[in-house]
Amino acid sequence: MRLNLLTRIQSYLRELEYLDTLRCLHLYLTRVEERMLNGEFGEAVSVAMKILVKVGEALGASRLIEVSHVHISGVSYSNIGEPGLEYLEKLASNKPKFLVYTTVNPSCVDLSLSSKIVSLENWEKQAIINEILESMGSKASYTCTPYLLRRPFAFDRLAWGESSAVAMANSFYGAFTNREGGPLTIAAAIAGRTYMAGLHLMSERRVKHIIKVPSLNNEAEASLLGLYIGEEYSEISQITGASEWSYSMIKEFLAASAASGSHALIPLDGITPRGTYIVEESVERSSIDRRELEHYYNKVSKTLELGEETLVYIGCPHLSLSELRQLSIMLDGRRLKKGVHFLVTVPGTYRALGVLDHSLRKAGVEIAVGTCPIVSRITVKPDIVLTNSGKALFYLSRLHKFNVGLASLVDIVKLVSEK
Amino acid sequence: MISLKAKPVIEGECCGELFLVDKRISFYGEVDPATGEVRGVEGSFKGKVLAIRGTRGSTVGSYIVYSLKKHGVAPKCIVVEDAEPILIVGCIIAEIPLVKVEGFNELVKAFSLGFKRARLVSERGALIIE
Repeated sequence: MRLNLLTRIQSYLRELEYLDTLRCLHLYLTRVEERMLNGEFGEAVSVAMKILVKVGEALGASRLIEVSHVHISGVSYSNIGEPGLEYLEKLASNKPKFLVYTTVNPSCVDLSLSSKIVSLENWEKQAIINEILESMGSKASYTCTPYLLRRPFAFDRLAWGESSAVAMANSFYGAFTNREGGPLTIAAAIAGRTYMAGLHLMSERRVKHIIKVPSLNNEAEASLLGLYIGEEYSEISQITGASEWSYSMIKEFLAASAASGSHALIPLDGITPRGTYIVEESVERSSIDRRELEHYYNKVSKTLELGEETLVYIGCPHLSLSELRQLSIMLDGRRLKKGVHFLVTVPGTYRALGVLDHSLRKAGVEIAVGTCPIVSRITVKPDIVLTNSGKALFYLSRLHKFNVGLASLVDIVKLVSEK
Repeated sequence: MISLKAKPVIEGECCGELFLVDKRISFYGEVDPATGEVRGVEGSFKGKVLAIRGTRGSTVGSYIVYSLKKHGVAPKCIVVEDAEPILIVGCIIAEIPLVKVEGFNELVKAFSLGFKRARLVSERGALIIE
């Protein structure tokens, strides 16, 4: 019965795609879409439609499609600066409203305004940006894990920014989204649509490579593998040997590969919903062994040790409630050693953390809400940063020029805390 | 004088002095939004026809293009070999015409021979370098 339904969905998708191959010179718009473009629903809608149509035309799209969830990236004042703020202010003057469920990426300040590690500079500017986005209808999510707030389903149509979330949507949930830039996601939210091209087409979801990977023990190893595959493989690759991975491992793996290699879809054999990607007969096969990974580890990571001043960073991508709970249990009754800062970042929606928050803070851990060190400035100058995230390693060593060591959460907690 | 096959991506007038940067540039980081200068290149493209191979880098680039307009230092029009979404979005929100041409190498050659003006004739689908 289920199989039957799947076959029907697939043939329906193929039919749709056949229509898409009959490419006209111009992108096809429905009557309503034409009225949106022509300004009947206000200037903001018209500009949003123009953005989608023009980008769609450049990428060979035949039409637009409605999406069920937009995730806006590029909202941190530290990143977009005055130019971004100026544009958002102009956009807001037309008072547009988002047409679909919309979430936003982390901003550059801790929303609890209590962090001593994430700098509070620019918080007034960030507040203006947040207010504009929320006035247009965005959820006050401020997270890179929108899938924790609304779980996408297989074949779900999305327009998401934020590379790590895009990789999760396509590869774990089997949803369809391209990796969009900030302004385009805002346009998609206003129009409730995106262009039908790239990963929205089954023909673009073809696996070119199958990689057999060794069995991994923890999320730091999954991170490392992600960084390695991101760097070494540029085409869509399917992973075999991932079916035993935990949710945290999958999250870290995909975030890392999206950071080092712009991967938006990496099908995981036994995990990614079948039918959301195509494997061809002619596919190339290869394997990665542990030695290769160990060699790569020595190249990209510092060894796990304490500096005079050490910053531990956990929560890239943002921690889910259950991941946060595990951390709380791990740290129960322990205290941080001297010279150790411990930063955890969580979604903006977890502002009231109650008991968990209390027990972690007692151990000396700082929880920053709705932000992360990649999109903000940091007040401490550690000799070494320790993290279990490959994405954090990739960006913190490049953007902030930190020495970064990659290790599992268990190993890090053992090293930096004591009874 | 040479004529290149041209396709307007964002329609509008495109006629003026050429400002050639023969590479792909990242508007975020490589372009000063207050002056209209490209890092490592002399002068500003303010009010000129900016010809570049294409763009690369962060999506913040779209906002930088908008900021150029706001500071009054935007190019009159941008000519590219390859029009990428970040630039297209930037040009739409900043209302800067964007033209895609075939044979960018010819443009570079003509420029080095002293042809320093560009003019778009949209009805013929041609960009004249003279």
